[in-house]
Amino acid sequence: MQFILDGFLSALRMIFSLDREVYFVVWTSLQVSIIAVFFSTLVGVPLGLIAATRTFPGKQALILALNTSMALPTVVVGLLLYAFISRRGPLGELGLLFTPAGVSLGLFMLSLPLVTNLTLSGIQSSDPRLFVTCKLLGATPVQQGIMILKEARFAVMAGIVVAFGRVISEVGIAMMLGGNIRGYTRTMTTAIALETSKGEFELGMALGIFLLAVAFFINALLFMLQRRRA
Amino acid sequence: MIPAYEIEGLTFSYGTVPVISLDRLEIPAGEIVGLVGPNGSGKTTLLHMLAFIEEPHQGDIRFFGQTCTESNRLALRRKVGLLLQNPYLFHSTVLSNLTWGLKIRDVPRQVAAEGALKALALVGLEGFEHRYAKALSGGETQRVALARALVLDPDVLLLDEPANHMDKESIERTESIVSTLNREHGKTIILTSHNASTVQNLAHRILYVEQGRVVPASLDNLFSGNLVQDGSVFRTERISVDLPDRMNSGSRLVIDAQQIRLMLDPPEPDLNNVFSGLVSAMTLENGKIKVKVDAEESFQIVLENSDPIVSNIRLGQRCWLHLTPPSIKVF
Repeated sequence: MQFILDGFLSALRMIFSLDREVYFVVWTSLQVSIIAVFFSTLVGVPLGLIAATRTFPGKQALILALNTSMALPTVVVGLLLYAFISRRGPLGELGLLFTPAGVSLGLFMLSLPLVTNLTLSGIQSSDPRLFVTCKLLGATPVQQGIMILKEARFAVMAGIVVAFGRVISEVGIAMMLGGNIRGYTRTMTTAIALETSKGEFELGMALGIFLLAVAFFINALLFMLQRRRA
Repeated sequence: MIPAYEIEGLTFSYGTVPVISLDRLEIPAGEIVGLVGPNGSGKTTLLHMLAFIEEPHQGDIRFFGQTCTESNRLALRRKVGLLLQNPYLFHSTVLSNLTWGLKIRDVPRQVAAEGALKALALVGLEGFEHRYAKALSGGETQRVALARALVLDPDVLLLDEPANHMDKESIERTESIVSTLNREHGKTIILTSHNASTVQNLAHRILYVEQGRVVPASLDNLFSGNLVQDGSVFRTERISVDLPDRMNSGSRLVIDAQQIRLMLDPPEPDLNNVFSGLVSAMTLENGKIKVKVDAEESFQIVLENSDPIVSNIRLGQRCWLHLTPPSIKVF
């Protein structure tokens, strides 16, 4: 018990003394996650909107694929991307393996189905009169899309927040594609795994506190969004 | 004058269920037209097609002489205002709801706001512009939606069962707006109702809709059945009616309530299509007397208040009905 308490106190000391290593790891984590979620929002939200409002061949197959990829284990995503961006892979020349960009790409692949699917279901659960109203007021398809997204904004934002929560707390992709390189690709989750296995309990604990704070912040945001939606 | 709408060979179905089947229909410009029919008769679907938000499966709709095609659908849609039966307001202020339609037409913000305030005043909701639209009552929602349609200054205004969610004051105000728009601005207005009496006061003409078709008489006396004797007789479950003309097909019989002859004495025995029954109800509707007679089937008869027979009719009295040839329609 004393060992846990000591670890916790040391962790707090590291946080309040603005320990460079702790904050760099936190910054790397936030950076790769924000970039990944930014791009998955850019692609996933319009994709979810189109899937929810348009009929096209293969729509059901797309929805099935999205549902399946939501449950993909992160190590499988990591493994697949590793095959593509490793030196011998088709995208090996880009030199993405063991770089923050490579980690972001993996996290993007992880969060894209989440953002797309949650946008799609958020729009599908909107009042059907919304679509008719946009049409009858004379909106073009693009204007209709913008208004539909505006009306379903809380559901869409909730999807983005959930995706961020998923990518910041995952470890498989960051480990396989980032390589856990100190001062370069080390993220909160990979650092916790490594430092704890090395017996550096304090650093792991300090990062765990940060990760918990992020989780708390995300849940608070979700809670607020859901309350506004209700 | 070019009609507001010319419809030819229009069909629409949900899956395999046919909802609309109109051979030909013309709606003159500058008139108020009532579309009357029971729930599920296809009125709303027809209105959505007239607003160009629903595409017919077959047939043509010409709008002021212009045939609707894929390329001009949006332009035509922007010339029609539609008030839904249960309108949807966006999650924003009343003012934003009213100006959105103008904003997407690139109308400057200031002009849009001025137009919105005028439209709000017209529907009697001055001072509501900063209210949150979702917090309004049913009647207020309906009036804001009407203002949202009016602010776009459409050539044709379509109102789907406007009286459904409105209180008396809102109904009166809507009627007055519709009347003014038609009289002073020459707008064509089409409104639907399941009850002819609610649109009778306003409409220049009433079209009766039944199973997606416009039928040639009021639906007060509507019977299902089939043609027998080579199409010369229509038989319902309880009565047989001799038809004035032989028909090839038809499963519905309507007897125009205004063209039934009501008699208090037995008629000559050789007169066909005569039924005897008892007067079971008498009501005053829009200045006319509606008499219900329970014969083998139940019939509604509409009489002018000035008709001398009116003063002699008593509840429970035996009477005779003659279904005159012009009153009989089969479709």
